[in-house]
Amino acid sequence: MQKTIRLLLALGLAALCAASLSAQSKRLNFYGWSEYIPQAVLDGFTKETGIRVNYETFSSGEEMLAKLLSGRARYDVIQPNDYIAEALIKAGQLQALDTSKLTNLGNILPEFTGMPHDVENAFTVPYMVGTVGIVVNTEKVTEPVTGYADLFSGKYAGRIVVLDDGRELATAALYTLGKDLNDFSPANLEAVRPILAAWFKQIKLFDSDSPKTALIGGDVDLGLVWGGEAAILWDQDKKFQYVLPKEGAHLFVDLLAIPKRARNVENAHLFINYLLRPDVSKLISDSFPYTNPNGAARKLLTEAQLANPASYPKTEMKLDTFRHLGGDTGARIDKLITDLKNAN
Amino acid sequence: MQALPGANPENPHARLPRVWGWILIAPMVVWLALFVLAPLGILFVYSLGTTGELGMVEFGLNWGNYARAFDPIYLKILARSIGYAALTTALCLIIGYPVGWFIARQRPVVRNRLLLLVMIPFWTSFLIRTYAWIAILKSEGLLNATLLAAKVIPQPLELLYTPFAVMIGLVYAYLPFMILPVYGSAEKLDNALVEAAHDLGAGPLRAFGEVIIPLTWPGIAAGMLLVFVPAIGMFAITDLMGGARVSMIGNVIHNQFTKALNYPFGAALGIIFTLLFVLTYALLQWRGRKRA
Repeated sequence: MQKTIRLLLALGLAALCAASLSAQSKRLNFYGWSEYIPQAVLDGFTKETGIRVNYETFSSGEEMLAKLLSGRARYDVIQPNDYIAEALIKAGQLQALDTSKLTNLGNILPEFTGMPHDVENAFTVPYMVGTVGIVVNTEKVTEPVTGYADLFSGKYAGRIVVLDDGRELATAALYTLGKDLNDFSPANLEAVRPILAAWFKQIKLFDSDSPKTALIGGDVDLGLVWGGEAAILWDQDKKFQYVLPKEGAHLFVDLLAIPKRARNVENAHLFINYLLRPDVSKLISDSFPYTNPNGAARKLLTEAQLANPASYPKTEMKLDTFRHLGGDTGARIDKLITDLKNAN
Repeated sequence: MQALPGANPENPHARLPRVWGWILIAPMVVWLALFVLAPLGILFVYSLGTTGELGMVEFGLNWGNYARAFDPIYLKILARSIGYAALTTALCLIIGYPVGWFIARQRPVVRNRLLLLVMIPFWTSFLIRTYAWIAILKSEGLLNATLLAAKVIPQPLELLYTPFAVMIGLVYAYLPFMILPVYGSAEKLDNALVEAAHDLGAGPLRAFGEVIIPLTWPGIAAGMLLVFVPAIGMFAITDLMGGARVSMIGNVIHNQFTKALNYPFGAALGIIFTLLFVLTYALLQWRGRKRA
């Protein structure tokens, strides 16, 4: 009798352990941008694999970087943008991907591989790519707007929305001076100060989260916005035209990566491979019409999606990406923007 | 005359209230230590650090962040934040005091219904209510559409993304925090005292200034504190309704953590900010004592 009880107890314990183990192995902690992945995609992954996704969001790459560097957060898959990934790689915070597990990796178009943030493609996989450009409500603005000089000519004062992102704005000003987009030397920062000061007087509002809202609502007629936002606008109404500023434009790449301290590495690879699948990647493009770096997924997109000039801008320009700046450059840019916003 | 039994020091129960008192406030003390004192300590340690190459905090003993907080631009932003918060408090007092007083003077049934009306907005998230204001105030929004249709204005008014919109947002958000404490004080006020003032020849103004205000002062002071302190640190309303064009100190601190990757400076601003609150509180207490 006692033997049986002991046996039962042992069995029960073993079952408990197995249950908790499998619970652990059926989980994935995903840390991504807010408003960047359809719930249907996360649900689809859970349905296929039985792995439950804990989805946490951030709204700036810096916010995510700080949380990861603090070393207490444990995520399995993160979604850094290019220069943040570069910083994470430099800090040794990412683990090398096991490409044998990423069977769909070949879907990525060659032009989105070997980029400066991860030349060897060892740590990151592109998720979505985009540009920052000018969107114009052509019903209200009849003259052509082709670059920053037109946008901030003074004619449209009080009718402009821009991203509330100091680095993006300072980069735009660097372009007008013909400087390199990553050269934030103190001299260059001083040089962009008067340019930005003149621009800020004409800006009606700063919004990185949803700059399209003010354009749809008719509160502003022009904007310096994310390409994906402009693509949604164009999709709703063709009066919203998107152009890459002729003075210069850049590409931003949002990536998928696995932090060094990830617990469920196997699931992380499964998840990344799932997101690389053409049918899944297409779903993401349907909701968030940025530039899809997945060649096989692009084949599934409609003619209209591919013709959207904000998603797939046609340009001869060389589109570079942001690099990690390091040191206190970020803080110096923030100080400059704070100074200028509060100058009046 | 029968005397009430006094506390007998030999009675073992006499010591009990003390012990019980401590046991009862223990959760509160633990709460304060864990969620007020400990975070403040952490904030202080961070505020003395510096930022490393990748944005990591390197701990040290560096007072530079406090010195930087006194840069004219941050003082200007702080002064503006205080100005906005003070204006918000004043408007809330002007609008909220009569409301609180009125509710307190009603029959209990009516009173409870009115109080419920004041509290109903809390059932909806603060952010959703702010977005509702955006829908009302925007160029093609509810207010402009109505005024245009009624031919009151020839073209849409520029309301959203202005300081005016920020004030609307702030007063709207904090008004209940003024009404409720004023109501609390006004409800306890003995009407006989007001009548006595009138009987002794005080006009309505004098009765209000010399009887009603001093007697409801605790409510006014609590309301002012409840409005002023959070209003000064608000960043969501300035971002959403003000178009992030003009910063308040709350926006500056928020930026240090989300954009500038400068935790130490953000922490130093936080500490200064907390000291400011303590100062405000002390000032109000001191005024309260002077009045009492």
